Amino acid sequence: MNGRAITTDVLLGLVPIALLVAVWQGTVSFGLAPATLLPPPGLVFMRMAQQLTSASFNRDILATLLRLFAGFSIAVVLGIAIGLAAAVSPAINAAVRPVVRVLAPLPKVALYPALLLLLGFGHESKITLVAADAMFPILLSTYYGASIVEQKLIWSAMAAGTPPRAILFKVILPAAAPSILTGCRIGLVISCIVVFLAEMITSTDGLGHALITAARTFQAVDMFVPLITISLLGLILNGLLQAARSYLLRGFPEV
Amino acid sequence: MTLRTLIERLAPLLACVGLLTLWQVAALGLNNDSFPTALDSVRAVPAILGDKEALINILASLRRMAIGFAAAVLVSIPLGLLMGRSRGVASFFNPLLMVIYPVPKAALMPIIMLWLGVGDLSKTLVIFLGVSLPVIYHSFEGAKAVEEKMLWSGAAMGLSAMQRLIRIVLPAALPEILTGCRTGLVLALITMVTSEMIARQSGAGNILFNALDMGQYDTVYAMIIIIGAMGICLDAAFERMRERLVRWSEPQFDIPLSFS
Amino acid sequence: MNLMPSRTDLKVEAEPAAKSAIPMIEIDHVSQVFQTSSRQDHLALSDISLTIDDGAFVSILGPSGCGKSTLLYIVGGFLNPTQGVARMKGNPITGPGPDRGPVFQEFALFPWKSVLGNVMYGPRQQGVKAADAEAQGRALIEMVGLKGFEDFYPKELSGGMKQRVALARTLAYHPAVLLMDEPFGALDAHTRTRLQNDLLNIWERDRKTVLFVTHSVDEAVFLSDKVVMMSRSPGRIKQIIDIDLPRPRRRTELLLDPRYQKYVVEIERMFDDAGDDELRP
Repeated sequence: MNGRAITTDVLLGLVPIALLVAVWQGTVSFGLAPATLLPPPGLVFMRMAQQLTSASFNRDILATLLRLFAGFSIAVVLGIAIGLAAAVSPAINAAVRPVVRVLAPLPKVALYPALLLLLGFGHESKITLVAADAMFPILLSTYYGASIVEQKLIWSAMAAGTPPRAILFKVILPAAAPSILTGCRIGLVISCIVVFLAEMITSTDGLGHALITAARTFQAVDMFVPLITISLLGLILNGLLQAARSYLLRGFPEV
Repeated sequence: MTLRTLIERLAPLLACVGLLTLWQVAALGLNNDSFPTALDSVRAVPAILGDKEALINILASLRRMAIGFAAAVLVSIPLGLLMGRSRGVASFFNPLLMVIYPVPKAALMPIIMLWLGVGDLSKTLVIFLGVSLPVIYHSFEGAKAVEEKMLWSGAAMGLSAMQRLIRIVLPAALPEILTGCRTGLVLALITMVTSEMIARQSGAGNILFNALDMGQYDTVYAMIIIIGAMGICLDAAFERMRERLVRWSEPQFDIPLSFS
Repeated sequence: MNLMPSRTDLKVEAEPAAKSAIPMIEIDHVSQVFQTSSRQDHLALSDISLTIDDGAFVSILGPSGCGKSTLLYIVGGFLNPTQGVARMKGNPITGPGPDRGPVFQEFALFPWKSVLGNVMYGPRQQGVKAADAEAQGRALIEMVGLKGFEDFYPKELSGGMKQRVALARTLAYHPAVLLMDEPFGALDAHTRTRLQNDLLNIWERDRKTVLFVTHSVDEAVFLSDKVVMMSRSPGRIKQIIDIDLPRPRRRTELLLDPRYQKYVVEIERMFDDAGDDELRP
């Protein structure tokens, strides 16, 4: 795509966002909504800048990030491990498949009360929930990526003398990498969503908790700040993951 | 039918039984008041379903979910199709959608509740938003992937641009669109439950947390089973319908939320 | 007859001016420029002029990248030329239409419709009553050799069968011109030769104008009345050669015919002589 096309795309894409902010500002300025319900954008962004320097808000962000990363990492490790195992071993496949079929469509957030009862109201319950939700897309995409690896690739490696165990790590894992990374991206988004929701339902800290607190005290401005923060966090993390993906997949044809 | 196919067909059922057994054993082992056995929980299910109040709540939840889902699908599919075929439309909406994507729609509940009150409308709206995104995305991807030559063949036959969109792009993208709808269905259920957990006014999620607050642990787990069963049944029913609608398509995989 | 014509005899030759009929297809100083990802402009076709008469079977022959498909798409109205104009019966071509029916290498069948559904599509679009369209469709399906497969779906067909359906589908709406874009390129050699024979048999019935893109020399010589040889980078017409072989043509007879062999050898030699600069991307 040439440079001209990219800049027009970017400009065109900024329009709805700019429009949204403009409508937002307009609604406030024209008094169509009381400031208590819909604070003007300027105020929100100012408050956000303020919050970003406040220690308590930063503690909230850290708590959320901690749970996010812990849950996501567990999901990645478990998802890839089980997905690969199911792809290469028919026995494991037979065991895993029906279990995944049953568990995957379950709204795992329904398990949250159970997790609260078992693991308490702190980090553990949320990390477990995040891991449980994020694991499935990663597992499924790993399984898919590993099972469609071209047989000829494996044969080439075997002919070159690679022992069977090493083939898993030297051929199948790299060949499945595009699919795995796509699954990780979905898992990351799910992690962001779930951690925020879990904190909203019950928590003593974190971004979700901040939003609920603000809601209970009718501080509309303070409600917008955590929302925008999680949205930005999601964008940044997604961008980082895409960068990692580009780096890891640099030899691959355009996927 | 061979033994093998029989086992394959029953596998999910066996998995359910297996999981429940695991639960039973773990509960007995842990012997914790807040972790009732599977049997106790299952026994509590009919009590809930028999209770008129609870039943009304659950049905209300389902109704909200249905309306939100239907409205989302009606809006998102055309939007996704247009985005898929027109660079301009795609560039216009893409960044906006990318910004909204990581925001948990249920998290908008408090704000929307401030504006629209605690009634059905706010919950349905949140479900609508939650379902829209995957459906738009999959419709977009599906429309983009439609073979250009197929559209040219249609144009040579005299189809106008709008006719091509409806009579070629839509059916050609249908497998992908339905995958998006399946994801949307699961999200609808999740959003419904979480919005009720947050709004706490009515619905299945509300029953769940009320029971939690009141220490009725059997009810808590029974509700989990009920909600879980809703998820599984809806997904299975949808998958059956999907197979029938796109019988003509090459088997395709996407990353839905389960093996199909 | 001199079967070893010298270069000059094979020069560009339009039909004698005595023919008063307006040519079926006229390509008038057409050039095509594409913008590529590296921000550079790529000249795909350079000043192409060509006339094609009604009922002629014309092949456009050249190596990959010479713009022959692009030329076909311009005639089909799927692309608008950067410069110049293509005309059909004197009228400028501005878009696709049922008067110029395409058959693509990728088949481009509608996967959600059966074989019969695909073939009936064009006529139904033109307002033909369902019963009539179905009857015509069944006749066409039988003509392309797929009787019994009317209710099959594309995913259940082999490549050769899909291409037969694609041909039937295009013929169904009676285009005056058939635009065929390397239609047999995705098929194995055996299927290809069968379809070449079948195509000629079908064409003999009403002798539509055919524009046939290929990179295979023997396919071009076997099928056509005229072979338009193109060079690439940028695409230009090198030579136009009249194929003076009697019809109907049988492959087994033709392969042993020295006239056929000489055409093939001459054309291949011309491509070879073009030298290495033709091979540069």
